[in-house]
Amino acid sequence: MSATATLSRREVLKLAAFAGAAVILEATPAGRIRRVFAAEAAPATAGFRGKWVAIAPDGRVTIVVARGEMGQGVRTTLPMILAEEMDCDWKDVTVFTPSPGPDYRNMRTSGSWSVGGGYEPYRRIGATVRDLLVRAAAARWNVPAGECTTEPGVVVHAATKRRLGYGALAGSLATLALTDKPVLKDPARFRIIGKPMKRVDGRAIVTGTAGYGADVRVPQMKFASVERGANLGATPAHVDDAAARAVPGVERVVTVPSGVAVIARDSWSAQRGREALKVEWTPGPNAAFDSRAFLRELTEASREPGWEARAAGDADAAIASAPKKLEAVYEYAFQAHAPLEPMNATAHVHDGGCELWLGTQAANQVQEAVAKRLGLDAGAVTIHCQLMGGGFGRRLGVDMALEAAEVSRAIGGPVQVLWSRSDDLRYGYFQPGSVHRMAGALDATGKVVAWKHTMAGVPHSAFSEPTFGVDLARDLMWGGFDNPYVYANLRVGHVTRKPPVPTGPWRAVHYPPGVLARECFMDELAAAAGRDPIAFRIAMLAPSTEPTAPRLASVLKLAAEKSGWGGALPAGRARGVAANVYDGDTVLAQVAEVSVSADRTVRVHRLTCVVDCGTVVNPLGAAGQVESAVVFGLTAALKGEITFANGLAEQSSYFDYPVLAMGETPEIDVHFVPSAAPPCGLGEQCVSPVAAAVNNAVSTAIGRRVRRSPVRAVDLG
Amino acid sequence: MPSHSITLNGKPVTFEADPAMPLLWVLRERLSSTGTKYGCGVGSCGACTVLRDGAPVRSCQVTSAEANGHAFTTIEGLARGATLHPVQLAWLDEDVAQCGYCQPAAILTAVALLKTHADPIDAEVDDAFAGFVCRCGSYPRMRRAIRRAAQAAVSK
Repeated sequence: MSATATLSRREVLKLAAFAGAAVILEATPAGRIRRVFAAEAAPATAGFRGKWVAIAPDGRVTIVVARGEMGQGVRTTLPMILAEEMDCDWKDVTVFTPSPGPDYRNMRTSGSWSVGGGYEPYRRIGATVRDLLVRAAAARWNVPAGECTTEPGVVVHAATKRRLGYGALAGSLATLALTDKPVLKDPARFRIIGKPMKRVDGRAIVTGTAGYGADVRVPQMKFASVERGANLGATPAHVDDAAARAVPGVERVVTVPSGVAVIARDSWSAQRGREALKVEWTPGPNAAFDSRAFLRELTEASREPGWEARAAGDADAAIASAPKKLEAVYEYAFQAHAPLEPMNATAHVHDGGCELWLGTQAANQVQEAVAKRLGLDAGAVTIHCQLMGGGFGRRLGVDMALEAAEVSRAIGGPVQVLWSRSDDLRYGYFQPGSVHRMAGALDATGKVVAWKHTMAGVPHSAFSEPTFGVDLARDLMWGGFDNPYVYANLRVGHVTRKPPVPTGPWRAVHYPPGVLARECFMDELAAAAGRDPIAFRIAMLAPSTEPTAPRLASVLKLAAEKSGWGGALPAGRARGVAANVYDGDTVLAQVAEVSVSADRTVRVHRLTCVVDCGTVVNPLGAAGQVESAVVFGLTAALKGEITFANGLAEQSSYFDYPVLAMGETPEIDVHFVPSAAPPCGLGEQCVSPVAAAVNNAVSTAIGRRVRRSPVRAVDLG
Repeated sequence: MPSHSITLNGKPVTFEADPAMPLLWVLRERLSSTGTKYGCGVGSCGACTVLRDGAPVRSCQVTSAEANGHAFTTIEGLARGATLHPVQLAWLDEDVAQCGYCQPAAILTAVALLKTHADPIDAEVDDAFAGFVCRCGSYPRMRRAIRRAAQAAVSK
């Protein structure tokens, strides 16, 4: 955790995320465990049902994961932890995702914290259930519990060679009191944690039976497509829906807060009906927004001092008097999430209640927002959580759920609102663009004496109105405020502008732009000092003041070794390095090996990623997350950006907002630093240094600094 | 509404639809076959890939009229009862999927590739997956699964 004495806001949120789990199993005074599973998902009525674990008489173990699954593998990793301490046979385990409510109040899936925050609670739950099983068997055998052990799925009394399966014991557990001192396993004896385990949803995925939000079908359901306006926030002034209603299959047209909804018996007819609408729109407040002009404004704004997020010594004076000084301005463009499954939700508003089916990272927030919108108690809103075809932070929004609820209420029946690809790219919230003005100075020996990082950017606006000030500035300067290197004189500042379009969390959130500017400017200073970029960084770490410094030095050294840093390369290729400390937890370093062709195409041949994320619970899933984050980061570093003109994103499909192709994907070498520390985050961390590593490599390859992300042909001269 | 007849996973199917209605929507919303996914509807991602007479096509770009008379394989038609297709097994062996949304299409693309290139080189795999979007970046594992499936076929 971070070195600061007081908890940051995010740390408090992280600790709170598992407050529900700390209660473990909710026992009534009589010692009975409350039944909290939905009837259709429950095992047989005999057996054991707790809030997080159920055991059926046949030995099947159902483990509850109160998180959204978007491919990060949480439905596999969290059950692994519980199954380990419970000493289950992994083949007996199935996974259940509950609906949000009083029993599951913290299903929000963000911040890459499900495993980090769930590790201790899930271990304790598993150990508590194992203790119940052992005591139940001991009671049945009339032997001391201390003489009993477990093997996967079985309690054993070695002295009398007796064995009882968990299924046989399940019916006896509810009358036993829970221990408040569960004994955890010695990690040296782990059978499941630390082993490569296949994703639990794998078979459903490869057979096409995995259930995503867009696949939901309920009886009598209609399909709807919503026409949303020529610019963000536009409202319909006049709607001529005659031609739309004449399209075969179209049944109704209704205006809802987000636009004009065409309801039909299938999605294609709804989309065709939408094309036939004639709508006059009142422009939204940002109808003139042009992102190119905005980034130029930010470039000018970055000359201001802004809110001082962090300072040491006097950076301006040190720079003024230093023999060697550098300045650079880095530009980071807007990006979108673009998950392959477009936003969607299925809603059924009926007498005094509402049911919703969707993939979401924010199930509780969806329940609360829909209840508020419909004027219902939260308990009258049931959310059925589906798998997500990608989240990346976009499915933290509740907009798609509110919209579906509005359409369902308007037509008085169940409806799936399925966004088109262009809706998904244009009408959600975005990763904001920003500009970073860097300045640094070296003394006569080539030592860095000053560092200035001023970011001009915008806060997130998708979920709430931000309060501008120093606290907000600090919160936006990820990578700048928590710069892990040590400088005698330092100033980090944020010039905060009002968001012109909805902005919100994207994978790795504010780190990619901050780390881009920091790690690239570090390379510029290293070059000015005539030093090797990796040695330069290591020399600027101070283990005595930064607890993560030794870990950062280790990953940099290991990345150098594994990437062949300093060794010969084929002609035209170059390497670049970037490192990051992610929120004081996960520490990583990456080396990109690139070449730049004569026609100004960047090709990444290899990307080495060394990560220290504490205990790796599932090495197979974890490596997949690193690969996934690297491809996500390379897409943003090389492939495209979101540009706005006249208040609307100009991109509308993967044709003009391309994703890295298989043929463009480098060899990705993943190395985890062995660690016994508890797990820290991995879902998004490895996105953070990718653009910087690529830019550093490209700059070395062409002999000129590239100060823009994504890199366009025009940036290569 | 006119009738259209196709063979779907080996079985004859007749459905009524506007001749312009893309096969993608017929599959997903008329024939209860949601394994084929909607990613963009304009041919930019490949999530809707099915096999037409054994070759991969983007079903959002095939109208009902164009589909008429052809044989289609979707992800639901690959396994034989409980027995998975070798490519599905290879996909599980390599733990390819992340979110999984593109994987039915990726698997079918791989099935078609291996029919025409039993031991494909990297460039041939790249070509087969040109314009194919996996936003979760499972490409390295897709490659390994294709190699595994190719080797398994060779060793039979």
